[in-house]
Amino acid sequence: MKKLKNIGSLLKRIWGHKQGKVGLVMVSFLILVAVFAPIIAPYDPYDVTQRAAKGLPPSSKHLLGTTINSGQDIFSMLVYGTRVSLLVGVTSGVCIAVVGSILGVMAGYLGGFVDSLIMRIVDIMLVIPTLPLVIVLTNVLGRDFWIIILIFVALGWTGLARTIRSLVLVLKNSNYVKAAELAGASRWHIMIRHILPGTSHLLIMSTALSSAGIMVAEAGLSFLGLGDPTAISWGKMLADAQSGGALLFGAWWWIFAPGLGIFLAVFSFMRLGIVMEEIVNPRMKQTSSVYKLFRSLDSSYIEDVFSSMDEYSQIGAKGLQGGETHEASVKA
Amino acid sequence: MKYTYVIKRVLYSIFVFAIVITLNFFIPRIGVDDPAERYYPPQGNMSEIEYEIIKQVTRQQYGFHVSTWQQYTNYLKGLFRGDLGTSFRPGSPAVIDLIAARLPWTLVLSVSTMIIGLIVGVLFGVLAAVKRGRWQDTMLLNASTVMVALPAFFIALILSFYLGFEWEIFPAYTDPNMVSNFAWTWESIRRVAQNAALPILSMVVGSVISYAQGTRNAVIAVTNEDFVLTARAKGLKQSTIRYKHILRNSMLPIVTSLGMSISGLIGGQVVIEQVFNWNGMGTLFLEANNSNDYPLMMGIMLLLSGFTIFAILVTDLVYVLLDPRVTVGDRR
Amino acid sequence: MKQVLKLRNLKVVFPTSYGLIRAVESVDLDIGDRECVALVGESGCGKTVTSQAVMRLLETPPAVIRVDSIEFDGQEIKDCSSKEMQEIRGKDMAMIFQDAMTSLNPVMTVGNQIDEMYMRHQGDSKKEAREKTVRALELIGLPEPRARANSFPHQLSGGMRQRVLLAMAFACMPKLIIADEPTTALDVTIQAQVLKTLRGMQQGCGTSLLLVTHDLSVVASIADTVYVMYSGKIVEKAPVKELFTAPYHPYTVGLMAAVPRLDDEKRKFTQIPGTVPHPARKPSGCYFHPRCEYAREICRKEMPPLQSLGGTRKVRCHYPLTAGGESHE
Repeated sequence: MKKLKNIGSLLKRIWGHKQGKVGLVMVSFLILVAVFAPIIAPYDPYDVTQRAAKGLPPSSKHLLGTTINSGQDIFSMLVYGTRVSLLVGVTSGVCIAVVGSILGVMAGYLGGFVDSLIMRIVDIMLVIPTLPLVIVLTNVLGRDFWIIILIFVALGWTGLARTIRSLVLVLKNSNYVKAAELAGASRWHIMIRHILPGTSHLLIMSTALSSAGIMVAEAGLSFLGLGDPTAISWGKMLADAQSGGALLFGAWWWIFAPGLGIFLAVFSFMRLGIVMEEIVNPRMKQTSSVYKLFRSLDSSYIEDVFSSMDEYSQIGAKGLQGGETHEASVKA
Repeated sequence: MKYTYVIKRVLYSIFVFAIVITLNFFIPRIGVDDPAERYYPPQGNMSEIEYEIIKQVTRQQYGFHVSTWQQYTNYLKGLFRGDLGTSFRPGSPAVIDLIAARLPWTLVLSVSTMIIGLIVGVLFGVLAAVKRGRWQDTMLLNASTVMVALPAFFIALILSFYLGFEWEIFPAYTDPNMVSNFAWTWESIRRVAQNAALPILSMVVGSVISYAQGTRNAVIAVTNEDFVLTARAKGLKQSTIRYKHILRNSMLPIVTSLGMSISGLIGGQVVIEQVFNWNGMGTLFLEANNSNDYPLMMGIMLLLSGFTIFAILVTDLVYVLLDPRVTVGDRR
Repeated sequence: MKQVLKLRNLKVVFPTSYGLIRAVESVDLDIGDRECVALVGESGCGKTVTSQAVMRLLETPPAVIRVDSIEFDGQEIKDCSSKEMQEIRGKDMAMIFQDAMTSLNPVMTVGNQIDEMYMRHQGDSKKEAREKTVRALELIGLPEPRARANSFPHQLSGGMRQRVLLAMAFACMPKLIIADEPTTALDVTIQAQVLKTLRGMQQGCGTSLLLVTHDLSVVASIADTVYVMYSGKIVEKAPVKELFTAPYHPYTVGLMAAVPRLDDEKRKFTQIPGTVPHPARKPSGCYFHPRCEYAREICRKEMPPLQSLGGTRKVRCHYPLTAGGESHE
């Protein structure tokens, strides 16, 4: 119950932030599109029998035109592509948050052998180029939708674990943790009840940011033709556009539509993450906004403030009488 | 003290590389009892006996007939001789030769991207930091919010569409003659430059912006440090403060991020090479993946990881040169 | 007495997203030749901003500054260009900061950082500058000055780093040194040594000193005149002896009561209730009234003027206290 309340208040704060509002609206919009894709899409995106409608530019009938080689309706494909992108992105993002926080908390709180083991794994993952490793693993394990998510999670938790670990190292020395230790609470109890809640804001933020990162990675993977072969995804649409001659025949709509999809999805999740970062960590923000504030200052307001600081104006409020005695006493 | 740190760092890199080699050896063996099954998966119309024979031959050919431990030591011995194994390709070429033929072409792209990205990025970042809050800074901020949400391969497609196909300024696909007819003549070099323009441009955009953003934040962070106030209180000239005090200290985080970004750059380049059909290691890797050429794939992986480890080591050592504070211990 | 610094009507505000921070409100400050003036107040009262404004070190933006006059050594510097200020800073007025660890460039040797002073202001070559640096470090009481000059800040102890800052500030024999909490980051024993060195150098070089601190015990040991600041305004000014024997402002009394004393066992160690008002949301009337036990109706409504009360003393209070702690009226 309390957790739900916390999330509610976080959402409220994001809503109060100008850019956060944009991010929230966009993300909710994308979720609606993904859920109601069959209703929104005017055509069957898998329908490749539209021989009469090949390579049509955008029109009222085909909002974003059709593909050159198979005549599929690009708007419908774009709508359906939201499903793959969001599902892979958000599922991986949530799983990364879970795995990253568990390993990060363990490394930070338990220390010793567990810590060095986890941190050595992080170091090793850092030096193996991620995309080639993902490709090798899909080759070995298969390209099923869930396997791809599994691989993203297996490779994506390191950054978060590192951040959580350093936060836990601070929390570990806080008084409430010390108090719980003295009260004889078990280490698991402390980790789950006392330390994990302290990292919750980081987790929500990282879920948004890593979801965005995974969406880019998923698009890249399916662009290389290595995603789930049965699904319609934006990356695959781009690959099809390239191999189907969109560049050669000037079918710009076929390139821009999936690009727009990727951009919107990644951008909105990233906004959300960055806004949360600002809310959680306000000192990130200030720098340039202070300068904007400075330029937008109302100079007459500032002058009013300055003159209100004068001794004379203070005395003015009190009446001339007091002013004179003050002047006199200063000179005396 | 410093030497101990350097030695520790080098030894640790060797340790990480040893782990990576071991992983490299075991990854193709995930999920199969007999590596021969991975190297030569059963075909549909093959009888059991036929497949047994093929497996026997495969085992002999790739040395799988001995125990796993022995295979591992043989693999290590091969590595010491510079032998990365034999490819599945017709004629069984050595993996190392295949890589050596592609390596220079990959380096043409990655080295120029890195140099251009770093120089332009750092200059732009310093400019944005100096003009904090003005249009140069705002432009960088807006560019980076947009760019992080646009995958490099999408930019590559757009560039290839407009600059390549529509306006015909640069070749949209790599000219095969570039490689086959290469000689050290101006004509040849000019052709390489022309063909490399779009791939480099598509990668440079992102790296310039990310280095610029990193530099800007680093410079601003250092500018807010107390010792800059001290330098100003000493009456030093603006230029002395900027170059001697601020810039040198800002280089520290930039050097670190340089080492960290290498693994990402390599992954990005695989996709870009694919878009432009560039004759580099990235396309070689994808070719190997498509033909399940494990020795070649793992050979490239090993090389890329080794390169990343080396690059991170070098940036760490440069860091030590720049920062007298680093002695022993983990600074990350 | 000749005046080294005459600051008139300094006002500084900082616009922020949660409102205008009124950091300094109409502050006057006078520092005589060879005089040590202390500016005392809790953190956030505007004393650091005041001291940096005197050296014109505040960046605009973010600060917005109005000042009638900054007369330094007979010269009006409030309209000096930044080039002209660079000539004055370091050479004629220098600054010592609180935390020597962060105030020294971590990637330069301390010697190089002091050399910069001589090379910049006395046109010395690198070699001449280093000779002077070694001599300065020796004078300030650093053992093995020649070797120490080649150390990086992190290789020195806290007391040594603070001495390096002293040597740097005194390098060009400036007329005025501003020391912003010069000993706060140090251990108590080292604090006393550094203060002694600072006092000795100040008298030896004939420099005036503006000491910015929250610590009244530091003030008692070296200051001549004391300005007490509260929430951006000067609330009391007095010669140090008179201030300690007979504080007029309730805030000054509170500050003194907060200093633990060994010689007087009966006096209780007390704290002023409440906290300094947020500089964007100051109370009406006298800024101190919410924390003042003597506050009356008029204190809530009107800001008292800074009035003279005998000799050179000034106090900003409707009902100044006498020595006995009784109200004046």
